[in-house]
Amino acid sequence: MGLKEDKIVPGREERVAACMAFGGCASGIGKQDKICLKNNERGFSQAGLCQLLPTLGMLLTLPETAVIVHGAIGCGSTGFGMNTSIRLHHLLRGNPNAKDSLWFSTNLDESDVVHGGEQRLEETILAVNEKYKPKSIIVMHTCTPSIIGDDLVGVIEKVRPLIDTSLLYSHCEGFKTKVWATGYDVAFHAMVHGFIEKDKDGPPPKKEGRKPGERPIVNVINLASMGKPDEVELERLLNAIGIDVVIGPNFADRETIRRMTQADLTVSVCPTHDDYLVHYLNTEYGIPCVLKDMPIGLENTRRWLLDIAGNFGLENEALALIEAEEAKVKKGVEKYLPALKGIKVFLSAGEFRALVTGGLFQELGMEIVGLRSYHHDDFGTEFYDRLIEAQKGKDFPIDIANFQPFELVNLLKKVDPDLFCGHVFDNAWAARLGYPTITIFRIFDHYVGYRGFYEVAKKAVRNLRNHAFNAKLSQNVPEAYRKEWYEKSPFAYIKSEAA
Amino acid sequence: MSTHIERPRYQCALGGALVTINSIERAVAIVHSAPGCAASADGAATVGGGYWGTTLTDGRATPSTNILEREVIFGGEDRLAEQIAATLEVVDADVYAVITGCMTDIIGDDVRAVVGEFRKHGKPVIVAETGGFKGDSTVGADFIWEAIITQFVEKGLEKDPKLVNLFGFVPAQDVFWRGNLLEIKRLLGLLGIKANTFLTPFDDLKDLKEASRASLNIVFSDVHGVKPAEVFEFTHGTPFVSEPLPIGPTATEEFLRRIAAQLKVDDETLERVIADEKAYYYRFINPLTDLFTDQDFQRFGVVIGNANYTFAVNRFIADDLGWIPYFTAVTDLLNEEQKQAVAKRLETIPADLRPKLIFEADTDRITERLNEQLAQEDDPYGTPISPAFVIGSNLDRPLAAGLKAAFWGVSYPITNRIVTDQFYAGFRGGLHLVTELISVLVSNR
Ligand code: SF4
Repeated sequence: MGLKEDKIVPGREERVAACMAFGGCASGIGKQDKICLKNNERGFSQAGLCQLLPTLGMLLTLPETAVIVHGAIGCGSTGFGMNTSIRLHHLLRGNPNAKDSLWFSTNLDESDVVHGGEQRLEETILAVNEKYKPKSIIVMHTCTPSIIGDDLVGVIEKVRPLIDTSLLYSHCEGFKTKVWATGYDVAFHAMVHGFIEKDKDGPPPKKEGRKPGERPIVNVINLASMGKPDEVELERLLNAIGIDVVIGPNFADRETIRRMTQADLTVSVCPTHDDYLVHYLNTEYGIPCVLKDMPIGLENTRRWLLDIAGNFGLENEALALIEAEEAKVKKGVEKYLPALKGIKVFLSAGEFRALVTGGLFQELGMEIVGLRSYHHDDFGTEFYDRLIEAQKGKDFPIDIANFQPFELVNLLKKVDPDLFCGHVFDNAWAARLGYPTITIFRIFDHYVGYRGFYEVAKKAVRNLRNHAFNAKLSQNVPEAYRKEWYEKSPFAYIKSEAA
Repeated sequence: MSTHIERPRYQCALGGALVTINSIERAVAIVHSAPGCAASADGAATVGGGYWGTTLTDGRATPSTNILEREVIFGGEDRLAEQIAATLEVVDADVYAVITGCMTDIIGDDVRAVVGEFRKHGKPVIVAETGGFKGDSTVGADFIWEAIITQFVEKGLEKDPKLVNLFGFVPAQDVFWRGNLLEIKRLLGLLGIKANTFLTPFDDLKDLKEASRASLNIVFSDVHGVKPAEVFEFTHGTPFVSEPLPIGPTATEEFLRRIAAQLKVDDETLERVIADEKAYYYRFINPLTDLFTDQDFQRFGVVIGNANYTFAVNRFIADDLGWIPYFTAVTDLLNEEQKQAVAKRLETIPADLRPKLIFEADTDRITERLNEQLAQEDDPYGTPISPAFVIGSNLDRPLAAGLKAAFWGVSYPITNRIVTDQFYAGFRGGLHLVTELISVLVSNR
């Protein structure tokens, strides 16, 4: 099965045996049995996300699209937060006047729970279409209608012939998977089925081979892992070796997404995000793919570029570019290296992002002393070993956790790093303990490629130089957990079936 | 009958309960629901509430059972019991509130029985069924207050004649709830009345536990918090009054006079407090008189927001600023009785200054209704309410732009400024509001 055949996107615990709960040494993760790992649970757990949230975050970026969240009134309410970041994205993309994202709740209430919500959904689609005339409408199916048995696909197929608008749908009920990253797959599924497979014009035909002399075109998949500055950097690098780029599917419209079927290669910047779509383009359109690195840090960027270049016989051009860029950036960071030498860093983010950023820090002379990944799957396994190898076999603890800040603060107190580098909403935990922090990803900054290497070094030095805000804060915040908790292992509440 | 809503300005019942618990010091929520519900519920409030943010036991640290398909099929009671026991072990709090989401309410987990076991053993755990489909945040806030009042507040304590409880605030739905509560507490304190606020970071949980000592509950709303106040009266014998949120000198003076009469504050103190506070307001306003009059800063008002704010703001701009309220949209989901209460309150504004009132949750439909209203005005130049000022939420910026009106956001969601201890209640709150409104008018200079 794959994206094309799947009626409902399988949870990632099934599709890629993803694991959400593990604590131990980095060196151990590859040796764990995958089936046992994916069954690990927590006896005490804190709020995670559900797959609805990343799906919503992605789909709200599509221009002139109306998103209908089919469910009770609260499910889509984070749209406001997402909308603020989408507004900022638009600003960075030079459209200050872009309209706000548009979303609706079908607002199922107690009587709908008894009588079903199909009619409400149908009315909502028709009303939204009539009034707002969006270019596409996306319906997101949440827990409540799913449990009461609403037939989402039935409603969609009934309405589809009645309207002239692309109609997309996604099954993203939170209770169906513990791996919220499944939401990325769900969003891909919705876009591919809505804009390609069931599009009114049908799927675009396969592209014929490239004519001699024609520049190759690659799809660079950007979900939520790069802001505009990073896109510019990757486009610059690929253009420099003679490759044209289509970036999507976030912020892309129907045409751009259809154009992705006409590329010569699909390139992922984050395999954890992208594999579902990349495989679709591969099996249906025969588009080969590069899906194992993220161009963060010198070594990873080098491999990423060479991999892509290799597909088009452009290795020499790539090598020349890499030499020149590396020379420039090494000179650029020279003045920062003394301040970074030997700094012990703790990382926290989506697995792949955390791992490759770890590699970048090592290249700057720093040491990894701990790492928290939101989930674990096979894409990450060899990178743990690479990090250990790069610091001469020095192992470090890892926590596979969909957030679970109680584990994080316990672990941080034991590890006592010099610097914390986490995803948004992670840094506060370290900050409240007084550690200097830098954000592993914001849409405004550079992280990837050579410019990213330089900017991260500079940012780390700046935060290490003065972290008074965090230091003073730590003296003025109360403690949330009992002191007995800190006497236990941070992983005390992880239950593994094997144990 | 309900309908779909464009970009709803609230979370679900679970969300309202969750943010209420999150605002109470040393209280922690245990969410019994699927993995995303807590994040959806308070993720919205913590951004839309002027970047309220999170502390140590909320946001992603909210204890949550994160139930999945297995529990939906086989029931989630065991998982809940496990989670409660573990939360008691790990999280250092003095009251633990189990609140539920849609799927647990639909599958019918007997959460009261599970919690009952812990209560039997003397554990401070309370429970409310707050499934999202039961209503919006304000409904959820009422549910959790009822649970607190009946399951946590001590019974049979002696009443203190000078102690009151302040209710009717839903955190984040009133983006300024902390500042407002603190200011009202300060004002009442000047009259010798001690006020329990419960929802500020400076409150002591003991005051909540002993809230039944209060001899009066003041509900700053005609709709929100009214039901819990009735439950309070029934359970603990404390009567309540509904008071509109007082913004500015006129409303606040009346408010203080009513409360002083009820709690027998001596006249001398009352008059002194009113005179002092009014002076505070007018000694800042007085020097602005040139600006106000020369620049003709009178505006037609379009006020959009929840039931509490729409009346309070309309009243302030009518009574103290001398503006012309024209149109007001109440965005809460209210039943008929509640709508009548809101409408009745608005009737206390004299007819010639009373704005057209609509109840509408959907942003786009608010614009439509306003345009219908404008179309009825006989005006050959098509600008019957120019110059206008829209006071609403961030969602109402396009409406303001369409009217070529000034805009200022005071209602949820607010995402273009951060809110800490700002407030609009009282004399000084009115001063803040006028300062902000006029600042908008001079911001291009
Ligand atoms: S877990 Fe289900 S009910 Fe909760 S926010 Fe996600 S989709 Fe909505």
